[in-house]
Amino acid sequence: MFFTVTSSLLVGFLETLKLFFLTQVFALPLGLLICFGSMSKAKIIRYPIRFIIWVVRGTPLMLQLLIIYYGPGIFLGVNVWGSETSGRFIAALVAFVFNYACYFSEIYRGGIQSIPVGQYEAGKVLGMTDKQIFFKVILLQLVKRIVPPISNEIITLVKDTSLARVIAVYEIIWNGQAFIKSNGIIWPLFFTGAFYLIFSGLLTVLFDRIEKKLSYFR
Amino acid sequence: MPILEVKNIKKTFENTEVLKGISFDLEEGQTMSIIGSSGSGKTTLLRILNFLETPDEGTISVRGQQIFDGASPVTNPEQLRKNRLHFGLVFQQFNLFPQYTALENVTLAPLMEADASQKDKIIEHGKELLAQMGLSDRMDNYPHQLSGGQQQRVAIARALALEPDILCFDEPTSALDPELTGEVLRVIRELASRHTTMIIVTHEMSFARDVADIALFMDNGIILEQGPAKELISNPKEERTKQFLSSLNS
Repeated sequence: MFFTVTSSLLVGFLETLKLFFLTQVFALPLGLLICFGSMSKAKIIRYPIRFIIWVVRGTPLMLQLLIIYYGPGIFLGVNVWGSETSGRFIAALVAFVFNYACYFSEIYRGGIQSIPVGQYEAGKVLGMTDKQIFFKVILLQLVKRIVPPISNEIITLVKDTSLARVIAVYEIIWNGQAFIKSNGIIWPLFFTGAFYLIFSGLLTVLFDRIEKKLSYFR
Repeated sequence: MPILEVKNIKKTFENTEVLKGISFDLEEGQTMSIIGSSGSGKTTLLRILNFLETPDEGTISVRGQQIFDGASPVTNPEQLRKNRLHFGLVFQQFNLFPQYTALENVTLAPLMEADASQKDKIIEHGKELLAQMGLSDRMDNYPHQLSGGQQQRVAIARALALEPDILCFDEPTSALDPELTGEVLRVIRELASRHTTMIIVTHEMSFARDVADIALFMDNGIILEQGPAKELISNPKEERTKQFLSSLNS
């Protein structure tokens, strides 16, 4: 039984990991784009983007999953996601990417705004171009500042992926819960915790290493 | 011909006229100190010379060549960048790059300009400059490992590395503990004795008097009085200058 459960949970966890990694691949760069939008000098760009960030950060991710999955069918009359498992996964991915990109954008913004103006000015008076200033002076300081908050978000994301089960994405919790119905046992559901723990443990170690690598300067 | 000619510079920030027509000349090899109370426009003037602010009116010429004209201000980034290289600026808050060592801070910008064959020469030059600043044993330290005085000396070396025509200082010792100002002033004094062309905004009156050839007293956006530094600071003519100088002594 233990073997059956573990292998089923592993299959679910693979789905969890897929959602986790794909979310980051898209949300990290999209967050930067949203960040630039939210800092734009043009009000027509800045205000709508800030509004979207407010909505996304101000409502539960679970609700966003439901709206993104069911919304098009209800409001537009078209089921853009199809009825297959892969369609539900993509709907979940879209919701996660959007949600996390908004959180990341605020972290980036905080990071960029925390770099003293003097750093840019020092680069300018030394005759550097804007590009050189960004890549040679600002970027590494920015990375150093955003690694701790970003790693927090990423570890939260590991656990948030479990929300995808509200639209029937067969991630690890879904698979664990299935044993209650099929075999009348609940321990597989509890056992899923170990997978999350081990994985977030690995991430913690990784981020600690990155932070340490950047600790040679202040 | 003066190395620097500044004519009728005006600058307004949101309805406040900070500079109301500033004109002066500076001869090559001379040191000029600019004194005056906070808000008199000293720092704005330095920032304008370094193209960190754009004046609304006026002209700036270096070695007879006009590099700024308020009637048609430079907007091309490449030209702006070239113009800046006539000047060096040492900031009140040092503004060293924290992720680079002292030597890397000094050589970063020159290395970007140069091709690979000049690399060794630039690094040698950087080491010489740091040695001149008395920092031979600190070249591989990061800014946070240095005292404020040491950081400011690295910043001076960094500005000198690009061999500007005119080196500007914006209150270079204001952010330092009193016991650390001496080492920075000594370095600037040394530069003056070698006839580095400098403009120094400072509140250290005795330093301004001893080290500078000429002094400007700025008040409320204008140059109220200018002349030989010793004379201006020891024997000011204008009532306002006297008032300012005596307020510092009391």
